[in-house]
Amino acid sequence: MIASHQALAAVAVAVVFAATSSCARLPPSLASQTVPTAPRSANLDHRYVTDVQPLLKTYCHSCHGGSSPAARLDLTAFDTTGRVISAFDVWERLHGRLDRREMPPRSAAQPTDAERRTITDWFAALRAYEAERNAGDPGVVLARRLSNAEYNYTVQDLTGVDIAPTKAFPVDPANEAGFDNSGETLAISPALLTKYIDAARNVANHIVFQPHGFSFAPYEVLTETDRDRFVVNRIMDFYRRQRTDLADYFFALWRYENRSALGLKGASLASIATAGGVSLPYLQRLQQLLHDRKGAFGPIAGMQRRWDELPAASTRPSEATVRAATEALRDYVIGYRKKLAWTFDVPRARPLHIASEITAMHVNRQEVLHRRRLNPHVLLAADTADPAAKGYDADLVVPSEPAARAAAVASLEKFCDVIPDAFLVTERTSPWLAKNQTGRLLSAGFHSAMGYFRDDGPLYELLLDDGGRRELDGLWRELDVISNAPARQLAGFVWFERTDTNFMLSPEFNHLRAEDLDLASDVKFGELRRLYEAKVAASGATAETRRMTQQYFDELGAAIRATAQARAAAEPTHLEHLVAFAERAYRRPIEAAERDAVLAFYRQLRQSGLGHEDAVRDTLASVLVSPHVLYRVDVVRTAAQSRIGDHAVAPLTSYSLANRLSYFLWSSMPDAELMARAAAGDLHRPEILRAQVRRMLRDGRVSRLATEFGANWLGVRRFEEYNSVDRERFPAFTNDLRRAFFEEPVRFLTALIRENRPVTDLLFGDYTYVNRPLASHYGMPQPDGDAERWVRVDKAGRYQRGGLLPMAAFLTQSSPGQRTSPVKRGYWVARNVLGQHIPAPPPDVPAIPSDEADLGSLTLAQTMARHRADPNCASCHATFDFFGLAFEGYGPVGERRERDLGGRTVDPATEFPDGVRRSGVAGILEYVRASRQQDFVDNLSRRLVSYGLGRGVIPSDRRLLDQMQAALRANGYRFSGLVETLVTSPQFLMKRVP
Amino acid sequence: MTTILKAAQSRRTFLRGAGVTMLLPWLESIPAWGGTAAQGRGTLLPKRLAVIFMANGINPNNWWAKGSGESMELGPSLEPLLPFRQRLNFIGGLFNEAATNVGIHPGQTGNLLSGARLTRGPEIRGGISFDQVLANRLGESSVQPSLVLGCEQPTTGYHETNFSMAYGSHISWASATSPVPMEVYPSLAFDSLFENRGAQRTRSILDRVMEQAADLRRQASTSDQKKLDEYLTSVREVERRIDRVRESANQAGKGTRPGQPGFTLQRPDNGLPQDIREHMRLMADILALAFQTNKTSVATLLLCRDISGMFYPFLPVTEAHHLLSHNDTSKEFTLVNQYYTGQLAYLAQRLQSMAEGDGTVLDNSCLLFMSNMWSGSRHDSTRVPVLTLGNLGGTLQSGRVLDYYDRPADTRRLCSLYLSLMDRMGVELPSFGDADERLAGI
Repeated sequence: MIASHQALAAVAVAVVFAATSSCARLPPSLASQTVPTAPRSANLDHRYVTDVQPLLKTYCHSCHGGSSPAARLDLTAFDTTGRVISAFDVWERLHGRLDRREMPPRSAAQPTDAERRTITDWFAALRAYEAERNAGDPGVVLARRLSNAEYNYTVQDLTGVDIAPTKAFPVDPANEAGFDNSGETLAISPALLTKYIDAARNVANHIVFQPHGFSFAPYEVLTETDRDRFVVNRIMDFYRRQRTDLADYFFALWRYENRSALGLKGASLASIATAGGVSLPYLQRLQQLLHDRKGAFGPIAGMQRRWDELPAASTRPSEATVRAATEALRDYVIGYRKKLAWTFDVPRARPLHIASEITAMHVNRQEVLHRRRLNPHVLLAADTADPAAKGYDADLVVPSEPAARAAAVASLEKFCDVIPDAFLVTERTSPWLAKNQTGRLLSAGFHSAMGYFRDDGPLYELLLDDGGRRELDGLWRELDVISNAPARQLAGFVWFERTDTNFMLSPEFNHLRAEDLDLASDVKFGELRRLYEAKVAASGATAETRRMTQQYFDELGAAIRATAQARAAAEPTHLEHLVAFAERAYRRPIEAAERDAVLAFYRQLRQSGLGHEDAVRDTLASVLVSPHVLYRVDVVRTAAQSRIGDHAVAPLTSYSLANRLSYFLWSSMPDAELMARAAAGDLHRPEILRAQVRRMLRDGRVSRLATEFGANWLGVRRFEEYNSVDRERFPAFTNDLRRAFFEEPVRFLTALIRENRPVTDLLFGDYTYVNRPLASHYGMPQPDGDAERWVRVDKAGRYQRGGLLPMAAFLTQSSPGQRTSPVKRGYWVARNVLGQHIPAPPPDVPAIPSDEADLGSLTLAQTMARHRADPNCASCHATFDFFGLAFEGYGPVGERRERDLGGRTVDPATEFPDGVRRSGVAGILEYVRASRQQDFVDNLSRRLVSYGLGRGVIPSDRRLLDQMQAALRANGYRFSGLVETLVTSPQFLMKRVP
Repeated sequence: MTTILKAAQSRRTFLRGAGVTMLLPWLESIPAWGGTAAQGRGTLLPKRLAVIFMANGINPNNWWAKGSGESMELGPSLEPLLPFRQRLNFIGGLFNEAATNVGIHPGQTGNLLSGARLTRGPEIRGGISFDQVLANRLGESSVQPSLVLGCEQPTTGYHETNFSMAYGSHISWASATSPVPMEVYPSLAFDSLFENRGAQRTRSILDRVMEQAADLRRQASTSDQKKLDEYLTSVREVERRIDRVRESANQAGKGTRPGQPGFTLQRPDNGLPQDIREHMRLMADILALAFQTNKTSVATLLLCRDISGMFYPFLPVTEAHHLLSHNDTSKEFTLVNQYYTGQLAYLAQRLQSMAEGDGTVLDNSCLLFMSNMWSGSRHDSTRVPVLTLGNLGGTLQSGRVLDYYDRPADTRRLCSLYLSLMDRMGVELPSFGDADERLAGI
């Protein structure tokens, strides 16, 4: 085995040499990389006839010839080199079996070593020659559907929400290179198509219909509760973004006024407002209030005094000191303001019920009107107030003398105007319920029935700028339109007035049912209102009661009409949005006929009886399962056809290239900028492509490259489902920790790509990334913040971590339950990391006990050494077991350990193939740096080529691989060198044409 | 373009021409889905389950049953069910633990069919209801996975217990966070049984993408065409499957039993019936029609929601349903209870009149009648009223009075009943809601 690996390496070196030297003679432009068809080497033809064929005849033809050749392989048919080339894959296998001495079978006559080499060397030379002649061949890249992952990411980028429509799909099969992004494996079946339709429907169910176009919620939006959740959350998010804590304002003002001492000389009030995240207009008002000393009374005078007493910056107070002082000032202001506020009780307005929506709304309106007003009824006159009386409060005392009183009241009014009793109120409950009924967001506070109420006047008037006001108005308008709140409030009104107040139980109302959606029509609403108001009037209501009843219906009626109009006006905009959505989903400009077809389908659905929303949903679903979306079909510019070696090729269209690029780097559709470049038609230019690559590699979406390429390459793509850990034995292994194990390599690779670090960091980087659960597992200090926060840990070697090799995901996945498996770990390093080819083990290998505790007196290392004493096993295992043995300092879930589960001291020291005894990950890295770094780089390049092109590596990719590695060497091994070289290669830019 | 319009035209014409005659009874001798051949009589008869819900509890004095079979005695509230004594199970004493100690009304309703704990405040969170579990498992072979009907619109305010009123408005939940949209309009519920809904909507989407695939294929290279052919073949195959289901439904009834025409129903008028009697009768008819023609095998019908505002001037009763339920021992409330069991009897009568195999659709169905509390005035969650009507294809014995009230909590869970019923529907789960045991003795 070792011998044959060395032989392969020798061939590879020869090819490298040939490729590099021929490459150097070629001008760098793409066109000239296309090698014209060369005549086959006469020398190789000659060697085949004189040297190789006689050996085949002697050793092979007796079985692989005649009328029924063994394994249906007739070697007599290969009478020329040309035939060999046309069946290259057969010969690759033949070459491998000869090389590994699997053929001829032991029972047959064996060629000498020299004879064997005559054949293998000749084939290797032919292969190298052919590879060079065809260098740049795009190979066979089939049209294919999107992988499950790509479909999810594409839907995410299309809708803006992470719906993961394929999460319950069967796992996509991987190709030979280990990736699930090639046409060979990505098939479709009727069962899968049915799933796609359901998935597309599910996505369409997330549509939120808005006054202008539509968007998507992170959940299905089919029922009223779903729509409510969406509109309420959006408004609440807006409110939560506003800074309404007065202490923040006082602190900002303090900074402004002390700007010189704070070294903020150039700062303006605006810049300080921006830095503090507070509203500038309100800061200005407060500034005025604090400094306008004329006529200051009561709370204004009090706050001015306290303001003056704030520590000066020149005394170098700590920030905490100043913060505390501004908070005390805030508390003083708010405390005082509370005493001056209005409160409103629910009026007793017969015949209206005590819990009537009409009276509740009346109270709400009063509250809104008085948020910035002084309540004069609480004031006490100086000459009559009795300090001993109950309820006496010096803060509320104003002079009795009329002029002085007027001045004091004016000052109090000014105070109340600038300091509202609340900037906004987001929760209301009916007044007779327990006060702990929280969470009724934006509610009008009706008893049981639904209804929204907006109470943000002071925020709107005092804090928001024009942009903020427009946004907030828009959100509230959308609340009505999306949730159809006014019509629903009416239905609730009727229900409540019948079931709880009994007011509408009289027979004249019998035909008006809360269930009737038509209740909000002009006719029925008008009738309901007329009957209701007539009954109110007939029951001897006061004028005020009649007025508030009318006002309730006036406002509700206006809202119902406005909403109905807005909903009708919205429909055409939904169709425009649908076409725009289709165009984005097709990932290329939509043709006029396609646009018409989308709209025609919508109309057809309407004709068949579907309502507007269902018709839009189904049309959107049809877009999402359209082959234009589901498939990636590369289209070429056939007019620009040329040849590479034996094959006719043509460049991809700009849009196909943009798609290829974005599915490579982001596993998803191109973004607007990439589409703009495709539209401009210059994406093929290498400098444009390189610039786009660099931009895209900095984007957060490369985490998908790290996941789909990196995690598949390293064999941990499905680690989040990994379930072979005995959780009783390893209680630390929770789902959170498992998720963290999976994320560690993904985050490592993501950061490496975004920061364009050297790919050698994957091995030698003395850092890693952890969140809280992983830090605990690794014995590192806990990162600040919540458990989901990830931080980079430098000098990770202190904890025996850093780089990919000691990451827990790999160490765990390679451990069969109750013990480690140095064999699997070594195999993983050799195969996944270094790209070594290792044949399958013979079928009769005895099993090692699955629990370390059952090993008896031997350690695992000793048990394995005994196993390797068998020469059948030794030749292979010697090439990778040592890697695994050096990991013995890590237990079955990747934890550091001194002893194994049987209590024996573990020894991570072992002899490496170069005869040196080394220990641990440091030992592995030392060995790799000295002897195997090229294997790592070559493997990474091959895997990336395979992933980026969506096909296996073929011999004619050799020159590209060399160029990628040359780019790495020329650029400090930085990652972008690999990608830039790959995407500017003919393989990436072109496609074979028939 | 032209093909789309043509297809639309022809289907539309077809629909119009077909009218009500398309809703024909299901026939057991015709291979149904995927061409499965009939395997002996009766084995292919579909089983159906419908939950019929009446909110706000019952009059405990008048809600009882004694004896069994033909000699069963029924309390006054159950009198309309006398003709169905032998098909009836009166089940007492079952309860939903998640509905206990959470306050009254919505917290007793939104989890009635799920057994899940509900979340208070603005976040809606409970659990999937068992009818939707059935729909998910059985729905593939139906035109509609389930039929979710109501006679009272949902509402979304807040109850004084701080549960959303949405919990009181829905008994069918598609997931922990989403109720199944409920159809309240008879005309739209009727339409939902037709082919322009459900599977036919999928068929339209397939027609549409088929056309695109053919276009794309023309532009593609030879090798790419092969990949697109996989897609085209799949589209055709799914279309064929849908057509097979449709055909079996359409051909059904041509001679189920000669001389026995199936039940037919004209499309109800648009809009909402003003009279609740007409409304409920239409909803029952539509449910019966759906079962007869096997458009679905799972249905829920919310006759009135929690804290119902329904009113019954024809009974004559002066108060609206909810307030009246606070006076649950009154004669008026018994009248209301009777009115509701009368709806159940009406539906049972409809199903019994529908011949199927050697018996009737009622033989192969289970109507599960429930309320969300026992006494309307006490709002108690210690037990809920449960009735079953029908025999689920011979798997459910009837004519029995079963009382679990005095047994330990673990042996009288509603979710245990659901597990037992789901078993009989062919969906066997290890556990559901708060139960991992079947209901003993059912």
